[in-house]
Amino acid sequence: MYTRTIESELLEFLAREVFAPDVPLTPETNLVASGFDSMSLVRVLLFIEGRYGFWIPESEITTKSLQDARSLAALVTRMQHDS
Amino acid sequence: MNLCELLDGAVHRWPGKPALIEGAHVLTYEGLGKLVAELAVKLRTLGLPRQTLVGLRYPNGINYVALTFALWQIDAVVVPIPAECTQDEVASLAETLHLDVILAQKDPGDAEPFFDDGFLTRRQPESTAAPLPPQTAFIRFTSGTTSTRKGVVLTHASVRDRVRAANTAFQIGPQDTVMWCLPMSHHFLITIILYLSEGTTTVLTKLVVPKAYLEEAARHRATVLYATPFQYSLLAAAGPGQGLDSVRLAVSTTCGLSEEVAKAFNRAFGVPLTQALGVIELGLVSLNSEDPLGRWNSVGRPHAHEVRIVNPDETGGGDVEIRGPGLLDAYAAPWLPREKLLHDGWFRTGDMGRLDADGFLFLLGRSTAVINLAGRKVFPEEIEEVLNRHPSVLESRVFGRAHPHLGEVVEAEVVWDSDGPDPEGLRAWCRQHLAAYKIPTGLHAVEALPKTPVTGKILRAVAVA
Repeated sequence: MYTRTIESELLEFLAREVFAPDVPLTPETNLVASGFDSMSLVRVLLFIEGRYGFWIPESEITTKSLQDARSLAALVTRMQHDS
Repeated sequence: MNLCELLDGAVHRWPGKPALIEGAHVLTYEGLGKLVAELAVKLRTLGLPRQTLVGLRYPNGINYVALTFALWQIDAVVVPIPAECTQDEVASLAETLHLDVILAQKDPGDAEPFFDDGFLTRRQPESTAAPLPPQTAFIRFTSGTTSTRKGVVLTHASVRDRVRAANTAFQIGPQDTVMWCLPMSHHFLITIILYLSEGTTTVLTKLVVPKAYLEEAARHRATVLYATPFQYSLLAAAGPGQGLDSVRLAVSTTCGLSEEVAKAFNRAFGVPLTQALGVIELGLVSLNSEDPLGRWNSVGRPHAHEVRIVNPDETGGGDVEIRGPGLLDAYAAPWLPREKLLHDGWFRTGDMGRLDADGFLFLLGRSTAVINLAGRKVFPEEIEEVLNRHPSVLESRVFGRAHPHLGEVVEAEVVWDSDGPDPEGLRAWCRQHLAAYKIPTGLHAVEALPKTPVTGKILRAVAVA
C-alpha cells in the first residue's frame, strides 16, 4: 500500500476519532502540540493494528515518528516492508 | 475543615518553592496561593450559593489545579468532567448529578466568558438532588467499582483522610519532584492534593513521546514518577542512559503490570516499578514500596487500611474487602450513603485477590465485567446501552478481549435487525454518544447472545488476569 494512501487513512482516522472537530488537521500538523495524548496513542496503535495487521513496537514511538500524520504513515510503510 | 487549608499550610511553609511547573512556567507556592485567591474573588462575583455543584471541564494544567482550590474556597462542590466526553455525555452527567454550573475552557456555544480562557454555563437542573452531606468537596462521575451507581461523593474531611493515609505509603515531601502525566479529571485527590500539601514540586507534562518525557525528568531531577504500565512500556523501549538516576519511586497504577514491562523498565533504568492499588471509593490502599523487585506483581502491604479475603477458594484467592480512612461518603445516583454500602463495615472492591504469608496483596482479576483499556476503565453496560439505542441494533454484548500490550481492548457482539448490519452507521453513532476510548474496536455480527436460562440476562465472561 502506498504511503500516501496510508497517510490519508491515518489523517481521516485522526480527524474523525482523535481530535476535536475544531482542530485543523493537515499531514504536517504537529500531533502532540495539537493535544495528542497517551490515550490518543493507544487508539492510533489499535487502529493501525486493526487496519494494517501489525502492532507498532513501543521502541518505534519517537519524537520523529509521532511528529505528524506524514511521519506516522512513513513508519507504517517501513514496518510493512520489514514484516 | 476545608481542603484549601492544606494548600494554605504549604504556601505558608514553602512560599518560594516551585509548586507547579508547566513547560517554561514555574509557579511558586506563593504564586499558586495568589492565583487561587484571585480566582476565588472572580468566582464570588457570580453569587453562587454554598455547595453549588460546579462541573469543571478543563484540560490538565495550572488553571485546572487553581480553579479546583478556588471553587473549594467559595465552598462549591467540584465535579470533574473529562475532556474526552461528548456533548451527550456531558449533558447526561450534568442531569444525573444535578449540576448548577459548568466551567469549561471551550465555549459550548451559549456560555458567558468567565476569565482568561474560561466559559461559564448556568443550568437549571430539571429535578432536585438528594441533599449532599455537609461540606461536600467533590463528586467523581464514574460508575462505582462494584455497581452501576454513579457519582462518588466525598466531603472535605474524607479527602483529607485519604491524603493523609496515602502519604503513609508515599512518604512524599518537599524534597520530591513528581512527574505528572495522567488526566487530572480521573486522578487528583490522593495525588495532586497530596503533592501540594507536602511542599512537593509537580511537573505537569505528557508521556506520549518517551524521549521528551525522559529529558524533562532529567532536567528537573525528578524523584517520583506516576504513570500507567503502557506508558512505562514506552519508557522502557526508549532505552537506558536517559538520566532517571534521581528517581526514588516509580509508581505503576490503573491496571496490572506485566512481568515483561516490570523487568524491561528495571533493566533500562535500574529503578523497580512499584505497583499501587487505588480504588475510587477508598483512595490509595497500598503501594508496594517494600518489595517491588521480589514481589513485582503485588500491589503491596496496605499501610493505613485493612484488607481481608472473603469466600476464598483452595488457593486462598477470593473477594477483596477493605476498610480504613477516606471511604466515600455516598454514591450520588441513585443515592446510597456510606453506611448502607458496606458489608459488616467492609467495602467489597470487586477485585479477586489473595494475601501471602507476609500480608502482601496480589490481585487475580475482577469479579465484575469492567474492561480496563490501558488503565482506563470501561463499563460494558454503558456501551451496550448506547449500542442498543441505535435503530438497527436489536441487542448487544460488550466485553474485554485480552491484548498483549494494552491489557484489554473493548469488543462488541451485535445482533442486527432484519435490515442487516450497518457497522459504519453504528460507529458514527458511537462517536456521537461515547468518549472515543469507549468505542468498541471490533463490532462482530452474531445471530444471538448467550443468556442465563432463568432470568434471560446476558451472560458475561469475567476476565481473569
